[in-house]
Amino acid sequence: MQLRHEILEKNAILLLIASLFVVLVGGIVEIVPLFTIETTVEPVQGVRPYSPLELRGRDIYVREGCYLCHSQQIRTLRDEVERYGHYSLAAESMYDHPFQWGSKRIGPDLARVGGKYSNDWHYAHLANPQEMVPESLMPHYAFLAQNKLETDDIADRMRTLRKVGVPYTDEEIANARADLLAQADPTADASALLKRYPKANVVPGSPDGPTEMDALVAYLQMLGTLVNFADPATEKRLQQ
Amino acid sequence: MSDAALPAAPVVYNDDVVRKFMVASLFWAIVAFLVGVYLATELSWPAFNLGLPWTNFGRLRPVHTSAAIFAFGGSALFGTSFYVVQRTCRARLWGGDALANLIFWGYQFFIVMAALSYVMGFSKSREYAEPPWHIDLWLTIVWVAYAAVFVGTLIKRREPHIYVANWFYLSFILTIAVLHIVNNLTWPISVYSASSYSFFSGVQDALVQWWYGHNAVGFFLTAGFLGMMYYFIPKAANRPIYSYRLSIVHFWSLIFIYIWAGPHHLLWTALPDWTQTLGMVFSIMLWMPSWGGMINGIMTLSGAWDKLRTEPSLRFLVTSVGFYGMSTFEGPVMSVRDVNALSHYTDWGIGHVHSGSLGWVAFVSFGAMYYVFPRLWGRTTLYSTRLAAWHFWIATLGIVFYIVSMWVAGITEGLMWRAYDQYGFLQYSFIESIAAVHPYFVIRLMGGLMFLIGGLLMVYNIYRTARGTVVGTPAPALPAVAHPVELAVAGE
Amino acid sequence: MDIKPSDLAVGLMWVVFGLAGLFLAAGARDNEMYVFGLSLAGLAVAFDAGLIRRHFNEVDAAAARARAARHV
Repeated sequence: MQLRHEILEKNAILLLIASLFVVLVGGIVEIVPLFTIETTVEPVQGVRPYSPLELRGRDIYVREGCYLCHSQQIRTLRDEVERYGHYSLAAESMYDHPFQWGSKRIGPDLARVGGKYSNDWHYAHLANPQEMVPESLMPHYAFLAQNKLETDDIADRMRTLRKVGVPYTDEEIANARADLLAQADPTADASALLKRYPKANVVPGSPDGPTEMDALVAYLQMLGTLVNFADPATEKRLQQ
Repeated sequence: MSDAALPAAPVVYNDDVVRKFMVASLFWAIVAFLVGVYLATELSWPAFNLGLPWTNFGRLRPVHTSAAIFAFGGSALFGTSFYVVQRTCRARLWGGDALANLIFWGYQFFIVMAALSYVMGFSKSREYAEPPWHIDLWLTIVWVAYAAVFVGTLIKRREPHIYVANWFYLSFILTIAVLHIVNNLTWPISVYSASSYSFFSGVQDALVQWWYGHNAVGFFLTAGFLGMMYYFIPKAANRPIYSYRLSIVHFWSLIFIYIWAGPHHLLWTALPDWTQTLGMVFSIMLWMPSWGGMINGIMTLSGAWDKLRTEPSLRFLVTSVGFYGMSTFEGPVMSVRDVNALSHYTDWGIGHVHSGSLGWVAFVSFGAMYYVFPRLWGRTTLYSTRLAAWHFWIATLGIVFYIVSMWVAGITEGLMWRAYDQYGFLQYSFIESIAAVHPYFVIRLMGGLMFLIGGLLMVYNIYRTARGTVVGTPAPALPAVAHPVELAVAGE
Repeated sequence: MDIKPSDLAVGLMWVVFGLAGLFLAAGARDNEMYVFGLSLAGLAVAFDAGLIRRHFNEVDAAAARARAARHV
C-alpha cells in the first residue's frame, strides 16, 4: 500500500484529482436522487406560491435572520405534532427559495403559526415581544413599522422566482403591485387577489402605504394554512 | 515536477503574506469573541438588542459566525498553509508577491463586506453562507487565486514527497470551492441588487445547504486545521508524526466519509428516510477516521510528554486534539436518530459547536500562533511563557463553563418540550423552557468572557514578542534569527 | 522599465475589479451594492498605487546600490 500511495504523494495533480473525485461521491449520491425521485416532494392540494405581499414579508423574515431563532419544520414526533400541528410536508416549503426550516428554537416553531394569533397580536408582539410574552428573548422589531415597504421591484422579484421554478403566471406578475396594495388595504376589493392567491390574509396596512411590518404579518398569517388536513382526502393520501 | 538536486541559492520564503494573515487572524479572533460575548449578553438580557436593527441578535449572529469561521479561522488557515507549504516544499510561494497580496487584501475585503452586509440587513439566510451573491462571487475569485498559489507551490517543490499536512490543506481548498459554488447558486433580482433567490427550494435546498454546512465544518474547520496540526505538533514536539500509515488511512477515509454526514442536520424532517439513514450511518462511521487523526496527533508526543510543561504552543496543540476527539465522538452520538429527537433545535447543538470551535479550532490555532509568531519576527522565544500558561488555563476553564452550561440547557429544553403531565397533556409551554435555561445562558456568557480574556492575554503577549522584549524564563544563548528579506528567488 | 509579469497581471486584474465596482455603484439598487461598488473601486486604487510605489522603490533602491558600488 505504501508504494502505491507514493504515486499520489509525488504528483500534485494526481493528488488533486484523486481528492476531488473522493469528495464528490457522497454529495452526488445523496443530492441528485432528491431531484430525480418523484416521491421526494409529493404534490399536495392547496399549496400555492406566495402572494406579492407575503413574498415581501418573507424577504424581510429572511434578511432579519428570523430563522436563527424560529424553526419552520414540525418533525414527525408525537409531542411536536401535539404542540404545533401536523408534521411538515415537503410540499409545504416547495416554493421556499431559500428554505427556512431553521436549526434552532429560541422561539417556538412557526410552521403553522398562521391564524393562531390575531393581526393585532402580531403587530404588538413584533414591536415589543416582552409585552405579550414577558420571558421572551426576542428583539424589538418596531422599526419595521417605520420602514415603508419597497414595492417598485416586486415584479422583478416574481420574474426571478419564476426563473428558479416558482410557477407565477403572467397575469400574477402583471397584477403584482395591485395585489400587494390590495392585501394591505381592508377597504379594497380583495376578490381578484383571493382568486389568484386563495387563503391570503388582508392586513390593516398603513395610511402612507404598506410598511415592512404589514408584509411580515401577511406572511406569518398564512404559514401552514394552505393544506387542509381536515379534508379526509388529504389525510388518506398521506397515510399511503 | 520535483528537482532532485538542491537549489544553488537558499530559498527565501514569502513570510510577509504569512505575517499579514496571522496578525489579521489574531485581530478577527478578538472581534469574533467580542461579538459572541455580546450575543450571549443579548440572550441573557434581551434589552441589549437595543431595539435597533443593526444590533439585534438576528443581524449580529452571522457576524459572529462569519468572524469566527472565516475571518479568524480562515486567516489562520491562509497564513499557516502558506507558511507550511513553502517550508515543506522548500520553495517560495508560486505567483509572486502581488498575487499573494491580492489574496490577502481580497480576503479581508470579503470579510469586511460580508459583516457590513449582515448589519445593513442583507443575508441569504444560509448558515455559514449568508453573504449576498456578489460577495460570494468575489470570494470565488480570491479562492481561485489561493488554489493556484497553493497548487503552484506544490508543483514547483524541491522535496520529492508532498507532506501529509499539504494533503489536508489541498483537500480543504478544493472541497470548499465545490461546496461554496454549489450551495450559493442564486439568481440575483438584478446585477445591481444585493438580493437574490436560491436556485433550489424546500427539501432539496435543505439538503444542499446541510451538505454544505456540515462540510464547511468537515473541510474548513477540520481538514484545514488537521493540516495545521500535522505540521505544528511534530515541529513543536520535535518528533515525527506517530504513524505514516495511519496518516494515509485517516486522510482518505475522513475526506470520503465526511461528505455524506449532512443529513444528520435534518433528521425527523421532511427529508426522505433513505437520505436520513445514509446520513446517520455515515456520521457514526465518521467517528473512526476522526479518532485516527486524534491518535496520530497525540501519540506523536510519545517520549516527549515532558515538553508539555515547557512549551505553551504544544499544550494548546495537544489539548486541541483532545477536544477534537471529544467533539468527534459527541457528533456521531447526536447523529443517532433517537438522540437527535431530543437534541435537535436545542442548545446541545450550540454546546457541540463550541466544544469543536473553541476546544479544537481555536486551540489548534493558538498553538500554531504561539509557535509561529516568534519565528515570524525573528525571536527565539515568546515574550512571556507565564502569560501563555494563564491564557491556557483561563481559556480551558471558559470552554468547560460554556460546554457544560449548554449541555444542561439543551437537555433541559429537549426534556421539557416532550414532557407530558399525568393527564396526558404537554406539561410545559414553550416559553417555560426558555425561562428555565436563563441561568445556563448567564454561565455560558461567563465562559465566553473567560475565553475572550484569554485571547486578549495572547494579543498582548504576541505584541510584546514582536516588539522584542523577553521576560521571565531566560532565553537560551542563541543568536537572533535574521529578519527574512524579501528577495526574488533566482529562477522564479 | 522592467515590470514583473506577475505585478502587471495582478495590477490589470485590479483595474478590471475597480471598474466593475464603479459600474455596480453607479447602477446600485440598494445601499449595500453601492457601498460594495465604491469600496471595491477604492481598494483597487489603493492596491495599484501600492504596486506602483513598490516598483519605483525597488528601482530607486537598485539605482542607489549601483551608485554605491561605483564609489568604492
